[in-house]
Amino acid sequence: MIEVRGTSDALDYAHWAVQTALRAGATQAEATVSINDRFSTEARDRAVTKLEQSTGRTMHVRVFVDGRKATLASSEFERTSAREAIAAAVSQASHVAADPYAALPETRTGIVPDGEVLELFSGDVATREAQEKIDEALDLEKRIRALDKRISNSNGSHVSDTVSTTALVNSAGFAGAFRSTRVQRLTSPVAPDGAAKRMGAYGTAARRLVDLEPVEDVAEKAVERTVGLFGARKPPTMRVPVLFERDVAAAVLSDVFAAANAANVSVGNSWLADRVGSRIGSELVTIVDDGTMPGRLGSSPFDGEGVPTQRTIVFEEGVLRTFLFDTYYARKLGSRSTGNASGGAVGPNNFYLQPGSRTLPELIAATKRGVLVTDTIGFATEHASGTYSRGARGYYVENGEIAYPIEEFTIAGTFAEMLAGIDAVASDLRFDAGVVSPSFRVAEMTVSGD
Amino acid sequence: MLDTEVVEKLLSTALERGGDYADVFCERRRAASFRLQSGRIHESGFSVTAGVGIRVIVGESAGYAFSDDLSWESLQRAARIASLISRGGGASRAIRVTRSTAAPFYDTSRTSHASSEEYVKLLERADVAARSFDSRISAVNATVTDELQEVWIAASDGRYVQDRRPLISLGVQAVSTRNGERAQGFSGDGGRTSIAFFRTRTPESIAQDAARIALTNLEAVPAPAGEMEMVVGNGSGGVLLHEAVGHGLESDFNRQGVSLYSGRVGERVASELVTIYDDGNLHEERGSIGVDDEGTPGAHKVLVENGILRGYMQDHLNGTLMGTGSTGSGRRQSFRVMPQPRMCNTYMPAGESPPEEIIASTKRGIYAKAFGGGQVEISRGDFVFMVAEGYLIENGRVTTPVKNATIVGNGPDIMTKVTAVGNDLRLANRHYTCGKGGQYVPVGVGMPTVKIAAITVGGSNLD
Repeated sequence: MIEVRGTSDALDYAHWAVQTALRAGATQAEATVSINDRFSTEARDRAVTKLEQSTGRTMHVRVFVDGRKATLASSEFERTSAREAIAAAVSQASHVAADPYAALPETRTGIVPDGEVLELFSGDVATREAQEKIDEALDLEKRIRALDKRISNSNGSHVSDTVSTTALVNSAGFAGAFRSTRVQRLTSPVAPDGAAKRMGAYGTAARRLVDLEPVEDVAEKAVERTVGLFGARKPPTMRVPVLFERDVAAAVLSDVFAAANAANVSVGNSWLADRVGSRIGSELVTIVDDGTMPGRLGSSPFDGEGVPTQRTIVFEEGVLRTFLFDTYYARKLGSRSTGNASGGAVGPNNFYLQPGSRTLPELIAATKRGVLVTDTIGFATEHASGTYSRGARGYYVENGEIAYPIEEFTIAGTFAEMLAGIDAVASDLRFDAGVVSPSFRVAEMTVSGD
Repeated sequence: MLDTEVVEKLLSTALERGGDYADVFCERRRAASFRLQSGRIHESGFSVTAGVGIRVIVGESAGYAFSDDLSWESLQRAARIASLISRGGGASRAIRVTRSTAAPFYDTSRTSHASSEEYVKLLERADVAARSFDSRISAVNATVTDELQEVWIAASDGRYVQDRRPLISLGVQAVSTRNGERAQGFSGDGGRTSIAFFRTRTPESIAQDAARIALTNLEAVPAPAGEMEMVVGNGSGGVLLHEAVGHGLESDFNRQGVSLYSGRVGERVASELVTIYDDGNLHEERGSIGVDDEGTPGAHKVLVENGILRGYMQDHLNGTLMGTGSTGSGRRQSFRVMPQPRMCNTYMPAGESPPEEIIASTKRGIYAKAFGGGQVEISRGDFVFMVAEGYLIENGRVTTPVKNATIVGNGPDIMTKVTAVGNDLRLANRHYTCGKGGQYVPVGVGMPTVKIAAITVGGSNLD
């Protein structure tokens, strides 16, 4: 058996993979080895319905043969098979067009960033007893039922964690490794509402146990999301201010990230192409990508190709300042990597909208007539044209108060109109994922219902 | 992949502490992909997924562990971890398995990939065809992925069955530009077949579809907003079935009482014009399987017949608990995760109406010729899906193209509003992948032209 367990094993293996690629004919090579210890459990009512625990390993190898790039992703660490797979990747590279921009990043002067400073690893998560996690999932199930008699069922309460080791080595002299943890609790109550059912969900995720929202809060918010929409109606079709609650706002930010992603810009698949320096959003729109925030889920000492992460202001008071780059697209578009390489593509670090100072209830109170969206479904985004359209649920707001729950409607517009129309941003930002946002209000959008 | 004796020992170990059932899922998957961007082969990728997942079922509970290391020590450790779901008190028993091979509706003889040159050639042909289609086509991206997944599934009931599943797909995205305005079009095809498929379904024809849709969308006006009639185009209109009904009939949601279809077998759930099948046995479709990922043969399932709910899609765990047994619907993304009840190829059989008559009978509405993706919330059946190519219907005629139409509705409600079913069933181009609980599996959809009396279109145009 192949023992690849800790950071030094992972680094050794990555060194070996790089050397193997060079011997197979690569002019440059990079290997990332990830080892994930995953635990997850699900409870339903009084039963533990799922218990999963495994260690998974993957290696990602990028090889360059004179500017021709190929990749390998493999779960097979046995060296004979791995050697063959690496050789296959090197041979596939010969069919790729030579590209002057395709190469490893230049090694930057200075030392490999120290993962410890970023507080990505928590011993509390790594050593937590399985029984405690199982009990927590059972506790969530008990709490949601105790909070409201209407909660008759659930789609499961889940507690999961991952302890990861990541090592990256390249033939240009970079070698770095770090450990990280992630822990999550989530519940999803179900209640009958007339002939149909309502299901809500609420969860919390963090690198450290202490950063999770407490079990009682998670249960309470999940129940609120479930019963809050009882008796929801279809709203009329209208143009009104639309308030995006935090998690829905974060989904909008994911689409903004996609448009700011240099890979999309480069191939003409972004409505933000050619608009650096232009005013796009209202002055409340300051959007930052920051991989250097201690303890955050989107943080890491270096990105997916060994470039140190950084803090990048993408939108500053509405003005688009820059796209986000990995090394390849930075070279191609005449810029510099912003430390956003991720899994062979361009990805976010902590990508967030700068919060405001008022609470969401204060924003609602300041809205005469409008819609508060608490959930959306659908994922279609035309990044080229920048149009947005989603199925939605939430509340109708009248005279600064929540009047009644609404559902089965869509909200639609363009991202340009939405960002320009943001006229209020709340203070409720939380970092439970890589892309996050506080709640915000867009001055006017189309709501389609009856 | 694993010796019979090793598998038998693993199953015995898994059930050491007691339990109703155990299975071992071994997988080896190799995939090659090439991507073309800006007229050149931009990158190529190769992937290997190999490992073993071991599951123990006790009542409604399941323990799971996997190993990507095939040494006995590591496999045994996984079996022991999976067994922890059982509270103990069992006694070790000997388990014997018998080897067999699936008999699927696709060719299992292929054991290797085509040469890199052949994949590259496909992409280059697609690129040239899309660019030369019209001068307004400003960018073309094309990807080909070809994978071979071999699975060996052993269960404590004595099966040890093997399946080999090929899956190839070619996808082309075309971007059109005019006066700074951009639009895009996508088309893709393939199936459980080999590169030979593209001799008859040429990369040119796929690329031209993508280019044509990109140009149509360039002319498109914003979709209207509000409630109106809708004609669902044949083929990819099956996405509507998949979202509006299919997920709600997966047995896990129903056994757990989470789906709105729970406990409703035998009841009317749709207009009597509506019949829905799910089928794992269609020739070379993406969702076809020789056996599912629990070793049960792929099957043809009647979900809804003339509006009456006939049954759910069952995996082993839920089918056993509900007393129906598995319907061959237990699928999983890889050895790293447990199977779930999933769809294979979901479609509505042909009805009687000529499609021209369906359109002619529509006064004001949307013609959703091609669908993009969709999503559903299973407790209420609320769904959305995206129209990839849509037009207005005015006074019985298809007129202006519309862009960015999102359709929103409620599954059970919409299914009662089906007022015509066309005689033109078509299976959609084969490029759909379904996500559930973070697991992605290839699926197929099919649909005749169908009319829905009223649906909410979520455009931005109020008039």
